[in-house]
Amino acid sequence: MLILSRKLGESIVIDGNIRVQIMRVDGDVVKIGIEAPASVPVHRQEIYEEIQRSNQQALTRQNATLPKLK
Amino acid sequence: MNHAATIEMETEKKLAPPANQIRFPLGIFGFEQIKNYALLANPAEKPFAWLRVTENNSLAFVVIDPFIVMPDYKPDIPQSDVDFLELKNASDALLLGIVTIHGQNRATMNLKGPIVVNRHTHTGKQVIIANAADYSVQHPLPVTETAA
Repeated sequence: MLILSRKLGESIVIDGNIRVQIMRVDGDVVKIGIEAPASVPVHRQEIYEEIQRSNQQALTRQNATLPKLK
Repeated sequence: MNHAATIEMETEKKLAPPANQIRFPLGIFGFEQIKNYALLANPAEKPFAWLRVTENNSLAFVVIDPFIVMPDYKPDIPQSDVDFLELKNASDALLLGIVTIHGQNRATMNLKGPIVVNRHTHTGKQVIIANAADYSVQHPLPVTETAA
């Protein structure tokens, strides 16, 4: 992993078109601004973990009983 | 387009998989190694269908058309996913919500990460919608109280 030190307001640029800027530092919370083309999805890591967990819970045996909907 | 390329495309078309086979080149989150599924719908089980693992017939996801439960669902599919799936029109896309059955009286569907399938190429991907914050991974389905 590449580790860089940045001061408040400083940025890093990825691949020439993605800019990540340190917007605010407040105790152990860092606010990050991300400018990226619309074609680049940006998500918190938690959402991947949440969807992964949900999928693991959802995978079932094919003969599972299906509920009835109203 | 030159002649050779045209012939190649036609061959590819002929080799297209049977209608219910769906290939997930990236797998499904948490199951990245599983690439091939079959979409099976039994009229008696409507509105549910099965996304069955081809390599292991006993394993499957239960899926549902999310719009049946939530007609105003407005998933914003990121452009990178539209490109990946080669979707040209909205009608090219088949959307499926993965259902989790928690028990007799509780079932939910994942609206943050729907399955999107290109109806023509039978390629699928689990997409994290750009407006995921507006929806739940466990949106409750209106299950009838069968135990009552």
